[in-house]
Amino acid sequence: MSETNVILGVIGSDCHAVGNKIIDTVLTGEGFRVTNLGVMVSQDEFIDAAIEVGAGAILVSSIYGHGEIDCAGFRGRCIERGLEDIVLYVGGNLVIGKRDFSEVETLFKDMGYDRVFPPTVDIKSVAQSLRQDIAARQ
Amino acid sequence: MQLRNKKLDMDTFLSERTEVMTSWPTGKDVDFEEGVLYQLSLPESKRFSSALAAADREGRTLRQPRAGVALVDEHIKLLQFLEDTCDLLPSTIDAYTRLNHYEKAAEGIARSTAAGTSLLNGFPAVNHGLNECRRVVESLTKPVQVRHGTPDARLLAEITLAAGFTAYEGGGISYNIPYAKKVPLDRSLRHWQYCDRLVGLYEERGVRINREPFGPLSGTLVPPFVSHCVALIEGLLALEQGCKCITLGYGQAGNLVQDIAAIRSLRELAHEYFQAAGYTDYQLSTVFHQWMGGFPENEAMAFSVICSGAAAAALAGATKVIVKTPHEASGVPTKEANKQGLEATTQMLNMVREQIFPMSPTLDQEIELIKREVRSVLAKVFELGEGDLAQGTVRAVAAGVLDVPFAPASCNAGKLLPVRDNVGAVRIFEPGRVPLPDDVLTFHRDRVSERARAEKREASSQMVVDDIYAISKSRLIGRPR
Repeated sequence: MSETNVILGVIGSDCHAVGNKIIDTVLTGEGFRVTNLGVMVSQDEFIDAAIEVGAGAILVSSIYGHGEIDCAGFRGRCIERGLEDIVLYVGGNLVIGKRDFSEVETLFKDMGYDRVFPPTVDIKSVAQSLRQDIAARQ
Repeated sequence: MQLRNKKLDMDTFLSERTEVMTSWPTGKDVDFEEGVLYQLSLPESKRFSSALAAADREGRTLRQPRAGVALVDEHIKLLQFLEDTCDLLPSTIDAYTRLNHYEKAAEGIARSTAAGTSLLNGFPAVNHGLNECRRVVESLTKPVQVRHGTPDARLLAEITLAAGFTAYEGGGISYNIPYAKKVPLDRSLRHWQYCDRLVGLYEERGVRINREPFGPLSGTLVPPFVSHCVALIEGLLALEQGCKCITLGYGQAGNLVQDIAAIRSLRELAHEYFQAAGYTDYQLSTVFHQWMGGFPENEAMAFSVICSGAAAAALAGATKVIVKTPHEASGVPTKEANKQGLEATTQMLNMVREQIFPMSPTLDQEIELIKREVRSVLAKVFELGEGDLAQGTVRAVAAGVLDVPFAPASCNAGKLLPVRDNVGAVRIFEPGRVPLPDDVLTFHRDRVSERARAEKREASSQMVVDDIYAISKSRLIGRPR
């Protein structure tokens, strides 16, 4: 497994493309080999891509509010398909309405995501934790 | 059948209709003739086209929010809560319905019922069906529009128009390129011909339905000429199918002179192109969308963005303004936040209403620039179509002649790269394959160079990224700090 292979995409029926292109650019600039699946990616498409390139992490974005529905069960699906140790990040506007971020973070950590990010996060800082988290799993 | 910009004949429409109406069980409740009678029974106060005509006559700018939740009673409560503070109402459709994923929408409805709160980002009108949609229209006193982002919006149109909605947003380009990933453009154009023809059939029966191509596209540094080209094409395609009431849109870019020039040139270009194509019997209006890009998290700062859009809309003379909320940075707003956006907008519109932004050489120059850009691109579109606008559109997008920046659709070239100039107007950094006159390209290059010199750095993709985030970080222009 290459330590710098990561999968990126916007989950579900979400068409928000701008942030996705920027995350790709920044992570690539930070030395990651990014497989960017773009917008409207299903859980299985993320997993297929992760298996194909032997990715260390899957980075899930959701901006349109359906995150709570689209992201549920993803950790279980990864385990089912043999990706027990994969690092799973999620970020964006993950729920409907303006909710306290700590509440949203707990909700998604309980779903099995290793880290949860608000839309304002600095992608370079995400890159830093990503490197550490992937290394720790190996 | 090959796509042509030609009014669909009745046989084609009807055989397609059978298939559309059986694509989800709620389709069977719709009877067109009964829908016409229902529409004719609505009072004029609920007719979108009448409100737009009155506003244009009086030189007023109407206020319209975005709003939609999963369950009917909650949706009615939401719209009733907003009704007093706006002139036109929406029903914003959820993202599953937009992709015809009605099973997913059903799951969203069930989970929303269980959770006691909406887990969908809009109103799943197809799942709720004709009678529940009528209950929405009947619970309100103002005109209601369907606002969405649906490449195949045929069933949604059949249900909502029969249910008494009097305006329908979208178009074969503007609801594909910014909203879909893999939908072929000729398919979405063909599906929107069906929607436009349906509106045309209502029109022929004396029911005027307003049609609004979606102006802002990706909402991210879109140069005015790009969205104008799409708006004009979709206006022409709608007219061909018999639509008569067209609202063309534009999303705020942030430089006041450019924004005013955009709305004024849009109206003038529409008359120019519509009449050149032989259409004289139409009702034209414009819509200005408050800033569609990233918002500041801080709500006081967000109100500033909202008010700057309200001022620009009024000064530009737009017929209506689509209003944002202080919760924009966090996604779907509460009804209270939604109302606050409308209240802030109301105050600004009222203060600006009587003021006329004077013509000046700078404003004139912007208007002429946009017109020349549009004429240059559309001339190529017509040329590529060998006289057929629909074919020309498909080929122009494939060739990168029509190119929307930062859009998700794979049919879009994505080679055109915009950036702000030193006064914040959106200019072209990389033209891609968009055919513009040499002196226009030189003008853009000079304006970008001027900014680069002022910032003591080269124009680069970093500058573009800085611009994308600038407003959410309290500036118009993404200057280095």
